[in-house]
Amino acid sequence: MNLFSIGISHHTAAVDVRERMWLSTEETRRALPELRDRFFSECMLVTTCNRTEVYGIGREAAIDGGALTAYLLDLKHAADDVRPDHFFRHQAGGAVHHLFKVSAGIDSMVLGDIQILNQVKEAYMLAQDLGTIGPVMNRLMQASLHVGKRVRTETGLCEGAVSVSYAAVELATKIFADLSKKSVLLIGAGETGELTLKHLVGKGIGQIRIANRTRAKAEALVAEYGGAVVDYEQIVDSLRAVDIVITSVNSPSYVVQPDDVQKVMRQRSHMPLFLIDIGVPRNVNPAARKIDNVFLYDIDSLNAIVDRNLGKRKEEIPRVTKIIREEMVAFFHWYKTLQVTPTIHDLRETFEAVRRQEVEKNINRFKPEDRELVDLVTRRIINKLLHQPLTNLKQGAENGSRGSETMQRIKILRDLFGIPADGGDRGT
Amino acid sequence: MVVKLPVDILVVALPVLYAGIVAVYAVTFFGSNSPLERLKRPLLIILILVHFVYLNLRTFAFDHPPITTVFEILTLLAASMSVAYLYIEYRTNVRNTGLFVLFLALVFQTVSSLFIKDLLVIPDYLHSMLLGFHVSTALLGYTALALSAVYGLLYLMLYHEIRSSRFGVVYNRLPNLETLEMMSNKSEVFGFVMLGVAILVGVFWLPMVFREISYWDPKLVGTVTIWVLYAVVLGAKSKFGWQGRRTMIVALVGFGFVFLSMLVLNLYLSNFHAFK
Repeated sequence: MNLFSIGISHHTAAVDVRERMWLSTEETRRALPELRDRFFSECMLVTTCNRTEVYGIGREAAIDGGALTAYLLDLKHAADDVRPDHFFRHQAGGAVHHLFKVSAGIDSMVLGDIQILNQVKEAYMLAQDLGTIGPVMNRLMQASLHVGKRVRTETGLCEGAVSVSYAAVELATKIFADLSKKSVLLIGAGETGELTLKHLVGKGIGQIRIANRTRAKAEALVAEYGGAVVDYEQIVDSLRAVDIVITSVNSPSYVVQPDDVQKVMRQRSHMPLFLIDIGVPRNVNPAARKIDNVFLYDIDSLNAIVDRNLGKRKEEIPRVTKIIREEMVAFFHWYKTLQVTPTIHDLRETFEAVRRQEVEKNINRFKPEDRELVDLVTRRIINKLLHQPLTNLKQGAENGSRGSETMQRIKILRDLFGIPADGGDRGT
Repeated sequence: MVVKLPVDILVVALPVLYAGIVAVYAVTFFGSNSPLERLKRPLLIILILVHFVYLNLRTFAFDHPPITTVFEILTLLAASMSVAYLYIEYRTNVRNTGLFVLFLALVFQTVSSLFIKDLLVIPDYLHSMLLGFHVSTALLGYTALALSAVYGLLYLMLYHEIRSSRFGVVYNRLPNLETLEMMSNKSEVFGFVMLGVAILVGVFWLPMVFREISYWDPKLVGTVTIWVLYAVVLGAKSKFGWQGRRTMIVALVGFGFVFLSMLVLNLYLSNFHAFK
């Protein structure tokens, strides 16, 4: 099989190298037809912040990896920053295995990344759009998307939050039923705090309030995410009216004390209050954790969730590997039968042409009422004659462990019956 | 009697079938992607149908609906809880709480099957339309209060897991705290109203069938006391907007009292409705 994959990823290159090779959609649109014309009969390109990878069926049995690398470096004018040894290369089964691992999410920087499957799908659709992929790549991509879907439904690889900010949001959805009816107060303008707010906005949080010592920073965040600015001095009072509080303040002492929370809880009829303390040192006195209906999480407890979830994801890898193996077997089974399909078609056509020619030449020798029968009988003879050899050929392709044996049979058949070599037959 | 044999078979079979459905719900609760996931609802529907066949056969065989002793009521309660759960599963699409609700139904059905007696002769006063209405409302009330307690218990389990950062199967499988609290609260209010109606009808019915009755009967006093306690708690919840852990403990304790009054008072007395 002359499938190749070549590219760079977080396994082979640091971010400053990877970003040099990142391609925009426009660049990908320009590159794909060129890649096809120069190197491949079918090809596609996956480019994300963690990887830029080309997959393709080579025009020749072997592909000039050096020339392809040089083309990619030239395309991005990156020869000064990116070395050829930053690129990995896979071929045949290795390339299929790599693509399936990527779609499954076990090749990602964050194990079980759910975005990668969509990115692969988008790359596939773009290649389809540009007409740079044919039957083999089509089938390969469908199999690869199927791997991704199976991994997501049959394993726990993508379950559980694996970032501090998302772990906090996941906890919020386990406490509250409908975030659109809830409100959040962000205290401080730290990066993780803002990211948590961003995730909450993504989940449709109802109201946003932001407090910061430097009011201008709070106003800037309000301009970006909506909501209202709260005076920094008023934060304890504000706890009465919000459901989720994210604190991310650089302060040597606690910003929220248990007494404040106790008082506020009485005022809010003990409605649950979720405190996410991302500050280091901590912003909320941990004693507040003991108060009824208060859910207090600090950076360590959130990190512990992330670590535990990552551990669980790692435990799922054997199940993912099994799915990949099964799908590889299914794909190669299909591929092997694909090798013989054009030959079977051509052989039938040849026999049919001979039959038709002979029937037409001799048909007037038969009575008009028998002519239909002659046509039918000759068809049957051809079918019966071809049935056994074609079944053997197909089964040989399906069951045979070596592709070269099938290729030899195809060659003999074509030679014997004078069928010209066909471009549709695919080398191994 | 022709229908006696199937009744005898079903008395033994029903707890086994309930144990089976609890096992199916347990497998799908603790294991992910079980092939039983799709089967569990149809299996529950079949179980409910079998239970209804049993109740009807029993009514036919002994010439009275199974509402005359506590153990007859318990089998009705088990059926009623299964139907209520099925309805909740359809309405809310929360599919992972069945294990707990159906476990309670299993307990009710097992107790019923162990102690139920084949009563062929029952007092005339138990053949009454008003009694039927009384029993139906009481049954709905008890079912709802039992559900309220189950959801209260699930709330407390999840509350504990979230607060202690020990995220196990309860955390992964149950819906969020607010949903569990809402389910418990709604069941509690419905149960309270139904039990109130049952008490009213009961109080109205008593003088009609007994010449000498005492309104100080322990059963009556016990039930009314519990109902008043529920009234106080619900009133306070509504007035002060109480929420969260403590109100769920109240739902649990409340049902504990209901169950005790139903079982212990009736074991203490000779018959469920043997008012003296």
